[in-house]
Amino acid sequence: METLLNPSKTPNLFIPKTHLFKPYFLHSNFNPQPHSSFNRRPLSITITCKVKTSQGRKNDGKNISKKIVLTDSAPELSNEEIKAKPKGGGKAWGVIKKFPKRVLAILSNLPLAIGEMFTVAGLMALGTAIDQGESPEYYFQKYPEENPIFGFFTWRWVLTLGFDHMFSSPVFLGTLILLGTSLMACTYTTQIPLVKVARRWSFLQSADSIRKQEFSDTLPQASVSDLGVILMGAGYEGLNFVMGDVLGPTGFLSTPTEAFNTEVHVNKFYMDYYDSGEVSQFHTDLSLFDMNGKEVMRKTLSVNDPLRYGGITIYQTDWSFSALQILKDGEGPFNLAMAPLTINGDKKLFGTFLPVGDTDSSNVKGISMLARDLQSIVLYDKQGKFAGVRRPNSKLPIEIDGTKIVIVDAIGSSGLDLKTDPGVPAVYAGFGALMLTTCISYLSHAQIWALQDGTTVIVGGKTNRAKAEFPDEINRLLDQVPEIVESSISKKPDNIGG
Amino acid sequence: MIFSTLEHILTHISFSVVSIVITIHFLTLFLLVDEVVGLYDSSEKGMIVTFFCITGLLVTRWIYSGHFPLSDLYESLIFLSWGFSLIHMVSYFKFKKRKNNLSAITAPSAIFTQGFATSGLLTKMHQSAILAPALQSQWLMMHVSMMVLGYAALLCGSLLSVALLVITFRKAIKIIGENNNFAFSFGKIQYMNERSNVLLNTYFLSSKNYYRYQLTQQLDRWSYRIISLGFIFLTIGILSGAVWANEAWGSYWNWDPKETWAFITWTIFAIYFHTRTNTNLEGVNSALVASMGFLIIWICYFGVNLLGIGLHSYGSFTLN
Repeated sequence: METLLNPSKTPNLFIPKTHLFKPYFLHSNFNPQPHSSFNRRPLSITITCKVKTSQGRKNDGKNISKKIVLTDSAPELSNEEIKAKPKGGGKAWGVIKKFPKRVLAILSNLPLAIGEMFTVAGLMALGTAIDQGESPEYYFQKYPEENPIFGFFTWRWVLTLGFDHMFSSPVFLGTLILLGTSLMACTYTTQIPLVKVARRWSFLQSADSIRKQEFSDTLPQASVSDLGVILMGAGYEGLNFVMGDVLGPTGFLSTPTEAFNTEVHVNKFYMDYYDSGEVSQFHTDLSLFDMNGKEVMRKTLSVNDPLRYGGITIYQTDWSFSALQILKDGEGPFNLAMAPLTINGDKKLFGTFLPVGDTDSSNVKGISMLARDLQSIVLYDKQGKFAGVRRPNSKLPIEIDGTKIVIVDAIGSSGLDLKTDPGVPAVYAGFGALMLTTCISYLSHAQIWALQDGTTVIVGGKTNRAKAEFPDEINRLLDQVPEIVESSISKKPDNIGG
Repeated sequence: MIFSTLEHILTHISFSVVSIVITIHFLTLFLLVDEVVGLYDSSEKGMIVTFFCITGLLVTRWIYSGHFPLSDLYESLIFLSWGFSLIHMVSYFKFKKRKNNLSAITAPSAIFTQGFATSGLLTKMHQSAILAPALQSQWLMMHVSMMVLGYAALLCGSLLSVALLVITFRKAIKIIGENNNFAFSFGKIQYMNERSNVLLNTYFLSSKNYYRYQLTQQLDRWSYRIISLGFIFLTIGILSGAVWANEAWGSYWNWDPKETWAFITWTIFAIYFHTRTNTNLEGVNSALVASMGFLIIWICYFGVNLLGIGLHSYGSFTLN
């Protein structure tokens, strides 16, 4: 029953069946449906022709009075559908069959691919020109409607097209996808046939195929998402260092691994300095504990030296100034939270403020403290004048506007990045393959064919590199050929450096 | 102390030798006589001396700073200069028999980069021997050396393309001048597309044009070769950078301006290769793309540093 209701999928198989089974159980179900008007359509399949002849007779009007009219109408339905579908399907199939070819032809078009690459390059350049990831107000201010850049470029463009987050904007990703499909289409239409031809002629390789394929390999790297980034709780040790929050949670949580049942404990965070006072390296002493509180691993991380444990990698990515611990007129210690101040460039600057006097008034004045690193704190008085520099732990008091301040400690925070990425070997393998194939594609490869025709030798050759030097090289080689007629057809591969 | 003196001496020797070489080049260029062939050979020897001087300079710096000499802009400029002279040397020794026009590009490039590096603009940077935390890795050697070598080669190649463009357009203007009756209606772009046909015509016109045709062909070929080489270096450099970033920060790619511009450079030269696969676009059009690449390399190398933003800001100017 069900097969008959749905005969269009594999029409050839079901037609004989309908014919056979019809008398037994079909008639009662299908007779009310008048489908005879469709019967005149020509049948494309030979088996169904028989059916048609019987129906043709019936449609002449002779068979209507017959007892088995009802039973005959059942195959009509099935036949009608059988007939209609292959035909319509055939048309559609033709279109569908042609469609990919047309799309392929369009996609593998070289100017289109070049245009796409230019677009990608242009969008990337635009992405560096427009500040990324700011609030909409920033763009309102920077690209005002009253004074558009180049006469048309306003914040509307930026926000509508998503240029405030260029590298994840639909426009950019769409172009990348288009470029990727172009590359695949090109691989399909040009490279694979090339390889086939190359195989037949037993060439070593085709340089273009490798060069073109590598693009598709590079792009995904940009968006390889971290599989899981987990946030871990904070840990304290004494008053010395605060375990900061994990910086940059860039991924989504995925199925946690065994190693997730591990507690991370920051024992110590410290920095190395050059003699000039600049930060040379920062380290975090980390301990990993399992659920029973047993230490399973301990390592001091630094930049470029991550900790790896059970598929999770912990990176030392950043540091920050968490708080400043001070004594005010012998009271305290107080912890003043340090705020990062943005200035030009990448240099870090942190600042905090200690109110002095009436803190309830609307115009609070106080002492400002600035620091570039954990080594020295610069203090400014109420008027904003430079008051002095103190090092934490020096215990040396400084008196500003009648307030005696001792800087007890500078509490840093460590920026750790946790990541688990099982795809790393695959990506590295891709990188390696890409490097290798790029190098291979520049290997020189030449073929020389010679054909004996009577007393003359016809020599032809081709090369993938050093095309201009190749004829000279061959001429020089041919000059050395002695004037003796050889009688065998020879094939001589030759490598010429290019 | 002894190291800085040695460095000083080497800088000066290489700089003065390269300037002599340039002078000889100009002489050979303007005089175009056979008597200066000997002079030409001496200029080649001069380049060899320069090469060893710069190598010595880099080695000295490496020894006394204790890290690979590629941590700031000054060092990378010296390295770039070294890259130019290396390309010069390789092409000289590989094609010993023939004089090639690559040396006309590499020698001035070497002197300009070196002149810029040692000029007053960057004096403050010479002594800074500290290495930012993120740079303290063995990957520095691989990544930065590959990138700078790639830049050197790509700059050479794209300069050759610029030379090709200059010669072609000069010739185009000349032909337009000579054949007033047909050339104006064609226009330059049409001319460019039918360059090969026109060249076939001009082939018979005069031997001078034939020589020019040969020259442009040679330039085209050489720029293609050098750019191919640079492209390999750039690819390896970008990929090793991605691997390094993954080791150090845990992400391959951060869309940092320098990275983005390196990728733009890569894309532009990928376009260059694609234009070359089409014989209609070969020659002048690919040279146009390459000269675009020339500008983009400079933006990538300097422009981004001028802004001093992002993860690669340690190579930036400190003009304060």
